[in-house]
Amino acid sequence: MKELLDAIAFLKRHGPAELARLAKSNAGTINAAVRFEVVFRRSASAENGAPRRTSEHESAALGISVATGAAHAIGYGYSGIDIGRAALRRARLIGSLRSGFEAAYERARLCEKRSAELRREFGIGAGHWAAAPPLQADKAAAYARDPRSVPNGEIAHLVAETSRAVAQLGREVAFNAISAFTESRHELFIDSDGSVISQAFAVSQGDCYVVAQSDGGGVQESHDTIGQQRGLECLTDGWPEQPMSNPGLTDFSIDLARESCELAAAPPLKPPAGEVVVVTDPHFNALLVHEIVGHPSEADRALKMEAGYAGRSWLLRSLRDNEIGRRIGSPLLSACSDPAIRAFGHYGYDHEGTPGRRVMHIDRGIFSGFMNSRATAAIMGAEPNGSVRASNVRFAPLIRMSNTFFMPGDSAPGDIIGEVEHGYYVCGNRIPSIAESRESFRISARRVYEIDHGQPGRLFRAGSVIGGSKHFFMHVDAVGNDLRLIAIPNCGKGQPMQVKRMSNGGPTLRSRARLAGGE
Amino acid sequence: MLPRAELKRFAAQAAAMLARDRDLAAFEVYASSTEQIVARINCTGEIVSRGVEEVKSLAADGFALRIVTRRDPHETGSAFVAGDLSTASVKQALAQALDALVVDPDFPGLPPGSGGIAAGGGQKPGLIGVSHLVVARAAWTTLKGAVAEFARRAPPHLRNPGLIIGGDFTLTRERIAIGSSRRADIGCDQDAYFSASVTVIIEETQAKATASAIGRSSEELRRAQTSLGRDAMRRALDSRPPVRPGSGRYRVLIGPQPLGEILSYMVVPSLTSGAFYRGDSAYQGRFGSSVMDPRISLIEDATAPHGAIQRSMTCEGLPARRTLLIRDGRLSGLLSNFYDRNRLLSDDARLRKLGASAPAALDIAAGNGYRIGEHGARSFDTAIHSSASNIIIKTKDGASLAQLIRQVGNGIMIGRVWYTYPINGQRAGDFTCTVSGDSYLIEDGRISAPIAPNCLRINAHIDQVFAAPAALTARSTPTFVWGQPEAFYLPALMVDGLPLASASQ
Repeated sequence: MKELLDAIAFLKRHGPAELARLAKSNAGTINAAVRFEVVFRRSASAENGAPRRTSEHESAALGISVATGAAHAIGYGYSGIDIGRAALRRARLIGSLRSGFEAAYERARLCEKRSAELRREFGIGAGHWAAAPPLQADKAAAYARDPRSVPNGEIAHLVAETSRAVAQLGREVAFNAISAFTESRHELFIDSDGSVISQAFAVSQGDCYVVAQSDGGGVQESHDTIGQQRGLECLTDGWPEQPMSNPGLTDFSIDLARESCELAAAPPLKPPAGEVVVVTDPHFNALLVHEIVGHPSEADRALKMEAGYAGRSWLLRSLRDNEIGRRIGSPLLSACSDPAIRAFGHYGYDHEGTPGRRVMHIDRGIFSGFMNSRATAAIMGAEPNGSVRASNVRFAPLIRMSNTFFMPGDSAPGDIIGEVEHGYYVCGNRIPSIAESRESFRISARRVYEIDHGQPGRLFRAGSVIGGSKHFFMHVDAVGNDLRLIAIPNCGKGQPMQVKRMSNGGPTLRSRARLAGGE
Repeated sequence: MLPRAELKRFAAQAAAMLARDRDLAAFEVYASSTEQIVARINCTGEIVSRGVEEVKSLAADGFALRIVTRRDPHETGSAFVAGDLSTASVKQALAQALDALVVDPDFPGLPPGSGGIAAGGGQKPGLIGVSHLVVARAAWTTLKGAVAEFARRAPPHLRNPGLIIGGDFTLTRERIAIGSSRRADIGCDQDAYFSASVTVIIEETQAKATASAIGRSSEELRRAQTSLGRDAMRRALDSRPPVRPGSGRYRVLIGPQPLGEILSYMVVPSLTSGAFYRGDSAYQGRFGSSVMDPRISLIEDATAPHGAIQRSMTCEGLPARRTLLIRDGRLSGLLSNFYDRNRLLSDDARLRKLGASAPAALDIAAGNGYRIGEHGARSFDTAIHSSASNIIIKTKDGASLAQLIRQVGNGIMIGRVWYTYPINGQRAGDFTCTVSGDSYLIEDGRISAPIAPNCLRINAHIDQVFAAPAALTARSTPTFVWGQPEAFYLPALMVDGLPLASASQ
């Protein structure tokens, strides 16, 4: 790892001049950027109390983007190269940078030329690019235990002991799988405008999967994740800081397994007819805000750049007809994305070199803005807000959520439930299914309790909330003071699919929706 | 990409080095070189767009190592190294693997030698050596075809049509070489294939149409680039004003793409030996039993002559093979890698997990162990899982699509869905998905009005689709599912009483 970090130091010294030279000597280049990333990771997994795998690996990769042209036509090319330990050979590193630039440049030039032809022949197609002032920055990782210093045996022991403890809960636990990793990640960003930004991250994550089976034949599969941008201490000892605290991996896994056993014995929800009062907990709301606020607030999705894959956004029908400045929810409801919070989606600068900043999406019920890139900011007449990131440097960056959440209100969660004469308390997110523009959703929950006279009563499994997005938000009549963020390990977006970590969450909410049960 | 000869030479050198290590009882070295090039189409008539938004590639070379010690046949370690295929890296990987040893009581040893896989990896794929710019040109040709069709045929009243043309051309190329203590030769394999998809939306008329292709030859790529954009645009322009059926149970004709989604997210993950071992298969305890209509057979075949993906060897060095998963409606095979196969077959609870109908002397071939990376190609830095390549449904007593449409009488044809998920977990078999386009009302045995995209959701169980379809087509059509690594060759099924919910209610 240390040797590969030397490659970062080398590129930091020599990369800017090399990139400037390449940009200058290749006609039409309006922006070029190099990202170099070094990752060191230790991981382990265990199943049913037995160790399965431990591993230690380090990787290094380059990503080179080139934009060419002018306002009438812009071409964009990208080249991602997994270079690994070959980065230690300086000539090879510079050679890869040059060959990656050449490939990206050829692609950009071809696109620029064809784009100009399309514009000439049919009057459509063009490109925008918002320039940004150059930045120099160095950002350190936060951890008590450097991921590089953790012995393989320790992480292997943690998952094996956790898996054993889960297996020992009883024969109802038919299967369990526990995994964990701790990772050190160093990112270097250099662009042809003169930015040189270095960021380091420590990331640790634990996962638990349980299949529980009751004597009556009921089966419950549960999966959940904890994680922080910290060292392994957040998994061994737990992490106390709000809004994203977590227990240690062992306690977390045992709790999930106990819940799974309880659910396997619970009946599936028989959904009531019509709309009912639902109180949704922070864990459920993490998936709700992710699907219904977060993704639709990505400017590339809103500008229909993903219409062929993941759909459009209910927040922007067109540049003339959209929800910006309009009421889409109750005055109690606010939501934002904030990369400054040291949760799973924390960063200082995005992968276009723009400082990350809080983006308000819903301000007291009014839709107020999108996460953007330099290109989409220019289209929408907004300032770039630092929301472009790739899951790793081999991939071209996309607009991504950071820490996206419903903001807290004033109500105590107990009061929110206590005020309900009859309704349902929906806890824990499971699987989402959403309409193309996310104008409606069906999200399944881990647990559903029937509320009777203000008290959560009977427990059901296999329950889902079905709602119209705006309808659900407009009917929010209570917002808790219990903001909690959840580690989301696997948000997929793009072609090819990029899987990204982030945080989502919110406080307890109360609204109205329909429920569904098992089919 | 690294040449096949270089990968093979490295695997041979690494194997020779490891063979000299007296502490190792067994080893396997897996080297891969992968490249994926994507040209993403994004043309939005009223919003500034680049046309082809970006042309991008990712390239990854490296190797993975698996070792078994002499101390304990269950003591195994693994490691991988990116970028550097050198003897120094082999030493480093070996040190990492030794540092990562675990004693796994279920570890069955490394897979046996293949014995008989052609070391050459079969015929050279046609797209393995084409220029990266071929993909960019294909995307531009497609886009121009769509735009030209719109300019030629769009009615004059479409002043602000809200035209969206999106999609991509994706070329995936992979090469692997495997050496191990269990085989005398170095096994090699290589493949190259493309997928392409174009979606046209005309927002003013709520029209939406998608055209897609998957293939492995330059000729197929050329055909796709000249036809997809134009065809999708034609169908969108020909579209009548859409209707929004209400919630209810309908007679539904489910097309190949929706079937692919349901298979990929719901059925295929349940047809693995790992799922049966864990107890989370939707077909738990039903091996050997009837799980689909007897007219349906479901096959995974990495060697299918007409499959877009063609592999001669798995990532465990075993022969890639045809696996009959469902034979005449009965569950008869599972996707499996070597580890999962052995773990399930030696499990004391095996009979309960597989079910009473499973043959007493059941064997499961380990013919599906692949290292499929997140971009869908083989990759050294991914662990071995049971994966499919070409998923094929063969039908008996099938009819033509036109006959099925007539047979539906009054109902719905669903041609495209997305966001298909096991809403209550994989084992429950419940799924939900949104009808996203290419779907039509069928009235009096004829296709009539299109159904507005995203106004209907299927909330059903997999058995409602596959257990007793009223009819099915004889012919299978190639399709693929966004973000999933398999190619599909599927018929259309007619299902009675499928529950559909209005997304707006």
